[in-house]
Amino acid sequence: MKLAVVVQRYGLGVNGGAELHARYVAERLARHATVDVLTTCALDYVTWRNELTKGTEEINGLTVRRFLVSHEREPLRFASRSERVFGETHSVADELQWLDAEGPSSPTLVSYISRHVADYDYWIFFSYRYYHAFHGARAAARRAVLVPTAERDPALGLSIFKPVFRGVRALMYNSPEERAVIQALAGNHDVPSVVVGVGSDVPHNPQPKRFRHKFKIRGPFAIYVGRIDENKGCRELFDAFGAYREAAAGQLSLVLVGNALMSVPQSPHIRHLGFLNDADKFDGMAAAEVLIMPSYFESLSMVALEAWALGRPVLANARCDVLKGQCIRSNAGLYYGDTWEFIEALRAIEQNRWLSAGLGRNGRQFFRDHYDWSVIEGKYLDIFRRLSAEEPSRRSMDSLPGWLRRRRPDCTPGGEVVAGLPAGPILEASPEPSSASLVSHPERRQRTGPARSTERPQRRKSTQPPRRTGRQASKTRRT
Amino acid sequence: MADLNIRSDSVNVEQIMEQIRERIREKRDVDYTEEQIKELAAVKLERFLDPRGVRSDLLEQFRRARPLPPERPNYAFEEQTLYESHRAPLRWIRRLLRPLLKLFFNPNPLIQALNIQSRLNDREARLEGTRHELDQLNYEVIHNLVVEVTRMGIEVKNVKMRVESLTSRLEFNERRARALEGVVLYKPPTEGTGTVTSEGDADEEVAVDEARPDKTSPEGEGPGQRSRRRRRRRGRRSGASAASVMTGTEQTTGAESIGDTAASRGVVSTTAARDADTQDAGATTSSSPGSAPTGQAVAGPSPAESRAHESTVESPEPASTIPERDPDEQ
Repeated sequence: MKLAVVVQRYGLGVNGGAELHARYVAERLARHATVDVLTTCALDYVTWRNELTKGTEEINGLTVRRFLVSHEREPLRFASRSERVFGETHSVADELQWLDAEGPSSPTLVSYISRHVADYDYWIFFSYRYYHAFHGARAAARRAVLVPTAERDPALGLSIFKPVFRGVRALMYNSPEERAVIQALAGNHDVPSVVVGVGSDVPHNPQPKRFRHKFKIRGPFAIYVGRIDENKGCRELFDAFGAYREAAAGQLSLVLVGNALMSVPQSPHIRHLGFLNDADKFDGMAAAEVLIMPSYFESLSMVALEAWALGRPVLANARCDVLKGQCIRSNAGLYYGDTWEFIEALRAIEQNRWLSAGLGRNGRQFFRDHYDWSVIEGKYLDIFRRLSAEEPSRRSMDSLPGWLRRRRPDCTPGGEVVAGLPAGPILEASPEPSSASLVSHPERRQRTGPARSTERPQRRKSTQPPRRTGRQASKTRRT
Repeated sequence: MADLNIRSDSVNVEQIMEQIRERIREKRDVDYTEEQIKELAAVKLERFLDPRGVRSDLLEQFRRARPLPPERPNYAFEEQTLYESHRAPLRWIRRLLRPLLKLFFNPNPLIQALNIQSRLNDREARLEGTRHELDQLNYEVIHNLVVEVTRMGIEVKNVKMRVESLTSRLEFNERRARALEGVVLYKPPTEGTGTVTSEGDADEEVAVDEARPDKTSPEGEGPGQRSRRRRRRRGRRSGASAASVMTGTEQTTGAESIGDTAASRGVVSTTAARDADTQDAGATTSSSPGSAPTGQAVAGPSPAESRAHESTVESPEPASTIPERDPDEQ
């Protein structure tokens, strides 16, 4: 089997969520198939500037083909296009211009895909919202497997993506919530899909003491790992943590790991360590009492999964359906909808060792059951087997409208479309369409606990997360 | 307040979250979610605003009520305006016939008047525009003020609630402190010594009460005489002559000098011998006036040890070591 992984950026130094996800999957699938990676020469997800040389190189044993980005992103143009398509009635042409403005536009990459469709059995496209995935999936629709890495943001509501969700051969979702939203949006229930996610190479013997010694940290602490950004909910985190220290006389400190895009409050109880390497990061997570995930938008939080893999509980923002759903399904994390809940939940984890240990134990089990690499690889291979057995010509992707139709301003604003989609966490994981054939780890599947419901996934009403404006989205858009 | 009831074998996150919400409800005394609070705040805002006939969406209302002024017309009127045309031949003919026109009437005053009028119109339009912007600004300021005042009102309420919460915590702490004080027991002083001990930590407090007249001491002998006698005895033990001790001419050990200094300050101290015994054990054997205020128990050895060293304990100013408070009051 020959596979092509197409992703917007690729490299050992690229730490974006979807990009890392793509690299992990590519490297793992390379054990079972020949895998080539197609990507751009860009490294910066804001400018998409060509920083790497085009051509072929080898990274961790995989052939990586890089293609030039035709133009860099112009922030003002992208912001104005975002405001137009997210907030106003617009046309398909507006959406296509938005996609082009977002970048990374690489016609040479798309042209390569068109010319070499038959060279690969399957093309795995990451991140539905970027140029390469949209045009690439259209060029190789019959062999395209899409990993949407979709968050609940206004871009999801754009009309141009619906045919892509309906027209690809298969979809690999990160969470049941993501699948529910995309299926409600595009009505693609008949497209083969599976909730996969991604694994992580978590060390078996992290060294909490080494971390404490290295960074001179004493006493119990909560940890946040990720970009320190308002759009990641960090402002709310700082406020809530301040209230926790003040109101609940909490003993936990807060350790922040990651680059800061906003000012970190000056407090003796908050330590910002900056960007750390993986070893330090895992040591820190192992040393922490709890990992806090304040993000509003996540398609899958790898950090939360890593914390669970290390047996640490998670305190997540309840306004993120995916995180809340994961906490409930795994019984491995608490969640907060407001400052009061944050204080009480953090205090409960801090003061109740049984609770903390129980959550950590459940998290470890949840990770092993669903995100162990063997499970992930099995799901990918299984879907390829299913697709091979299926007739390839059954589906076709809707073509883009003609010149006149494309300019008719009759598209609903993306923000409105997304606001109208069903919200809330999925309480029970519905059976995967392909679960019957997932025979690689039967014993693991049996360990997952009570029999799962065969009914449609239950949804719980939840408050909508704050809508992201086009400008905000343009600033920090990252999957 | 309900404690979290968590079984170690099975953790149910939803159940725990329900318990947490229950705790929050108990704490807040009311069952308001964030949405309800916001709703409540909006209601308050309306109540606050309605009597004055002002709406919370004041600015929007204002903008809707006052459509934007139409685009300013072109008021420009120059000398050539009368004869201008976008058609070049017509313009040429008019220029040609202009002298003829001037035979019939003088257009210059008309042109001048219209020119002045155009400038006036322009100025008026500019003023109107400025006024419009100012109006918008004023309305915006008023709107923001109304919102801020309302927010402040809610904040004040919030702060009041926090003050109440702090007051209750303070009261609780006071009650706790009183309860802890009640735990401390008073032991009546044994004969010869007045010792106050607290239950639980016998070495914590030892107060030597030597101010009371010793029944065994000869009548009329004051405390000063007794201490002098002790100093003489100590001097003899250490091999120094009484005179040298009294005059202080002989070199003394550090501890002795400390003891003497402390003694001269009227604070309980011990001899060098006792220092050597107890300092190793980590006990405080001498204390400065700052660390042992009058009437307060002084940390030191156990009462038994204290009694054993009674002869070496100095108290030149007896009044300072007498517990001023009646033990029963404790």
